Amino acid sequence: MIQKKICMLGGFAVGKTSLVRQLVSGIFSEKYLTTVGVKIDQKSLSVRGQDLLLVLWDLYGDDDFQKVRASYLQGASGYILVIDGTRKETVDVAWKLHELARKAIGPVPFAILLNKHDLVDEWVVKHPMISDLSDQACLVSMVSAKTGEGVEAAFFVLSEAILKS
Amino acid sequence: MSGSVHDPALLSVFDALIFQKTVDRFDCVGDLPSWFPPPGLSRETELAPGQLLEHSFFLQHFLHEAKAWWDSTETGQRKSGLWSEPAVFGEDVVLEATAVRHGSLRYVILQRFGPDILPIQPLLQKAREEQLSHRQAVKHHERTRAQLGSRLAKSEQERDDVMAVLDGLGLGTIMVDANREVTFVSAKARELLQTDPDRIIGRSLVEGLPWKTEDRDRVEEMRRLPGSQRQAVSVVMDGKNRSATALEVEVQNDPRDPRKTILLLKDVTEMEELRRQLVGPTQFHNLVGKCPAMRVVYERIRDIATVDVPVLIDGETGTGKELVARALHQLSPRHGHPFLPVNCAGLTDSLLGSQLFGHKRGAFTGATSDHAGFFESAEGGTLLLDEIGDMPLPIQTTLLRALQEGEIIRLGESRPRKVNVRVLAATNQHLQELVDKGAFRADLLYRIRVARLRLPPLRERREDIPLLCTAFFEKSRVAFGKMHVHGIAPETMQRFLRYSWPGNVRELQAALEYALIHCRSEIVLPTDLPPELCDVSPAVQSLPFVKPNERQRILDALTQTKGKRAQAAKLAGMSRSTFYRRLTELKIAPEESSG
Ligand SMILES: Nc1nc2c(ncn2[C@@H]2O[C@H](COP(=O)(O)OP(=O)(O)O)[C@@H](O)[C@H]2O)c(=O)[nH]1
Ligand SMILES: [Mg+2]
Repeated sequence: MIQKKICMLGGFAVGKTSLVRQLVSGIFSEKYLTTVGVKIDQKSLSVRGQDLLLVLWDLYGDDDFQKVRASYLQGASGYILVIDGTRKETVDVAWKLHELARKAIGPVPFAILLNKHDLVDEWVVKHPMISDLSDQACLVSMVSAKTGEGVEAAFFVLSEAILKS
Repeated sequence: MSGSVHDPALLSVFDALIFQKTVDRFDCVGDLPSWFPPPGLSRETELAPGQLLEHSFFLQHFLHEAKAWWDSTETGQRKSGLWSEPAVFGEDVVLEATAVRHGSLRYVILQRFGPDILPIQPLLQKAREEQLSHRQAVKHHERTRAQLGSRLAKSEQERDDVMAVLDGLGLGTIMVDANREVTFVSAKARELLQTDPDRIIGRSLVEGLPWKTEDRDRVEEMRRLPGSQRQAVSVVMDGKNRSATALEVEVQNDPRDPRKTILLLKDVTEMEELRRQLVGPTQFHNLVGKCPAMRVVYERIRDIATVDVPVLIDGETGTGKELVARALHQLSPRHGHPFLPVNCAGLTDSLLGSQLFGHKRGAFTGATSDHAGFFESAEGGTLLLDEIGDMPLPIQTTLLRALQEGEIIRLGESRPRKVNVRVLAATNQHLQELVDKGAFRADLLYRIRVARLRLPPLRERREDIPLLCTAFFEKSRVAFGKMHVHGIAPETMQRFLRYSWPGNVRELQAALEYALIHCRSEIVLPTDLPPELCDVSPAVQSLPFVKPNERQRILDALTQTKGKRAQAAKLAGMSRSTFYRRLTELKIAPEESSG
């Protein structure tokens, strides 16, 4: 079985851990528990008749207190930039992390997930804000780790792009 | 176990899984930690560390990094950062791997962090929650601000909040503006720097900080690098009224203005100390050992080396008295001059006399030419009089005069010669008893024991045995060309630990050399040992491991902590795993402990 490493990148509390949890075990929790260090999960997927093992690296949020270590990105076949639709500042963090990833591993496929779509009424992130980024992404999608909306599909599309690249 | 030998007692303190790198794999060394196997690994999973390394994606990744680091010239240690991997180790198991290097040996240390020793989790959580709720507050505030048009108050508030959070995290903060002038020093930073903020604020970064020039330069260098290339800088501050503090300094850009920088200071003294204990020196001038008694010896040597007085070194045969004397010489201002050891036993009066003080041609039968003695040859340096208890009385008298007057007279001459020599004496006898019996001059005894040093026999410092074995093993392996021998089998080590060692370290060295010469396999087996180590009576076996008052110490600790074992372990000065093991071994029941 082919293994592919995928990194979850984004500011703190945007929902990286929740998205992985939803994908791996279909569970969601409202309680916010900050991720200490790196959390590694696995998910097998079948893409175009090809069995894949996704090794998901949930990196702790990037903020003033913790910086993502560039070496953790080494060997990744793709990454997911997670943005919290209710927090504008998470766009800038995603942008910064995208640059970090580019420097560390070059132009591999990546997806942009605008999370917390179930709270769309409170959203402040508008599409134009991310247009610079979205041109290069293989997928820009509005998802919800809470309802599961779009989650599996997003990993599927990214995996497909990785296999093609 | 192949690879080298280790001190399991010492390693167990860290409650870590320790791998040693061999040519083609990693071997597990020392005791297994109390947390192993973690819930994710079933009991049946055999402990094949290689397998563990294969299972964990993160460890595989880190080993890559570690290998590159081992090959580099960087010093210190390489840490993986904290991680969890539920599929391999189970839920809620947070680990960290550290790559260290000690001489030619390479280790990977795997530590588990429980919630009790991971205070960063709740702090970080709190900080982020605070930031989240703070953001809610800010949102609200923003609406008000639109009406009031006041922006200043908010940003100041924000800064104070962030500072409070940073202080709470134990991070000191220093802000530096575009001109490299320090504009702000947080309360925590003031505490860490132990300096008046007025001496720093408003001054340039490089001038103001109370650090060594090279440390300040490194921080300044980091400041100039782009953010992604920066690394934390370690700074050691020698305390004026306290012990040294180790700081880790991180340089960050001010997110609002990249021309400004923020220095984050973290106190890592405790971690440095732990690391030092793990990989730190276990030798002192060829003396091997790190048990408390030997540490005392090292300290005494340092203390008295520079004081130019005679020293009496007292210890059983084979404990390393000459090594102590050499260390004293090396550390003294006399170290550029000769060090001469003389054995006073088994020589006739005139022979020892002429050896020490020299003679004139014809002074006695066989004295065919003029001859300078050791006192003259050691001019400016140090003379070690070994087995001084065996020195004949007439020579003792001459020696006493030499010590008192600083002059000697060659045998057969009458002209005194000035000498400048420091005299060290060594003995394995009880000199006071010899004085009582009239075999040793009391006035000489008082003269030579101005300073005294006692070396413990090996049976009083068994915890050093593995360390001594490693040291001699490495040395002899090379000397005897037995490079194919990789280590000492655990059963062999058990024999070493049980034996009573009447001949002390010298005997241990000889036994190890004997075993190495006889060794035909890759590791030293019990069958390679000299016969006296093969049959060890059970009485001797268990004796040295039970410290008489240990049971009481454990009970007292439990009483004081009202039965809380983790705290009691700390109080009793043991790692938790050792403490639990002792409870079972000493059969201390829970009722008894809470009593
Ligand atoms: N309503 C809603 N809340 C979410 C969603 N995803 C995550 N959260 C919440 O956001 C907080 C942070 O999520 P978490 O996964 O820990 O974020 P991360 O670790 O920074 O990636 C938690 O309280 C989650 O319950 C979502 O899609 N909708
Ligand atoms: Mg997380």
